[in-house]
Amino acid sequence: MNIVVDYDLPGPPAKVWRALTDSKLLASWLMDNDLVAEVGRMFDFRSKPMGDWDGVVHCQVLEVVANEKLSYSWRGGSGKTALDTVVTWTLTPNGTGTRLHLEHAGFTEHAAFAYDAMGRGWRDKHADLAKLSEL
Amino acid sequence: MDVFRALADPTRRAVFEQLTRGEATVKDLTKKFEVSQPAISQHLGTLREGGLVSVRREGRFTYWRVEPTGLKPLVNWIEHYQAFWLDRLAKLKALIVEMEE
Repeated sequence: MNIVVDYDLPGPPAKVWRALTDSKLLASWLMDNDLVAEVGRMFDFRSKPMGDWDGVVHCQVLEVVANEKLSYSWRGGSGKTALDTVVTWTLTPNGTGTRLHLEHAGFTEHAAFAYDAMGRGWRDKHADLAKLSEL
Repeated sequence: MDVFRALADPTRRAVFEQLTRGEATVKDLTKKFEVSQPAISQHLGTLREGGLVSVRREGRFTYWRVEPTGLKPLVNWIEHYQAFWLDRLAKLKALIVEMEE
């Protein structure tokens, strides 16, 4: 199960790249971090603890293509709420701006299953409602 | 028994999936899955311990159905991050507007 978001930003890829890779700029919109955008580097994001999660995301830089692509592992939590995922940012010029593509991949198969089952359950209910309205 | 372990077994997952399409009796499920009645009952018991299904009695029949809140622990991360990323991307956009070339 992946989360995919496409987002248009009003600045060129080089500018968006700085916001993604400069630790201070990144902290201003995402979370406190000690990112160094070099393949293999380990770093953490830190936010407020939530539930039984300590608020720390453990990361390792996986891929760096300046102004085009940045990818890092995204791990956190423990036990049954453990998360072992990968975040990938892809930048494409779009007129005078940038189309930013985010893919957050690797949510567990159980979570993916649950999502599918819920989707279907909801669709079925919807189908029933449609049938009722035809009566 | 937690939700993850309750869904770890493929037959149990299939039984649960079947129940998302509507409530059913043990007999219905036994027919559908060609598994013995005690096996189905055991799977349903495990799913109930995981908070995924519940029972409704009507006359001499017992109907099993999905517990709508049972999957909450599973979708938490996905729901959390869907909202999280949209919120943060809006902040990123504001930053990009502010940033000097």
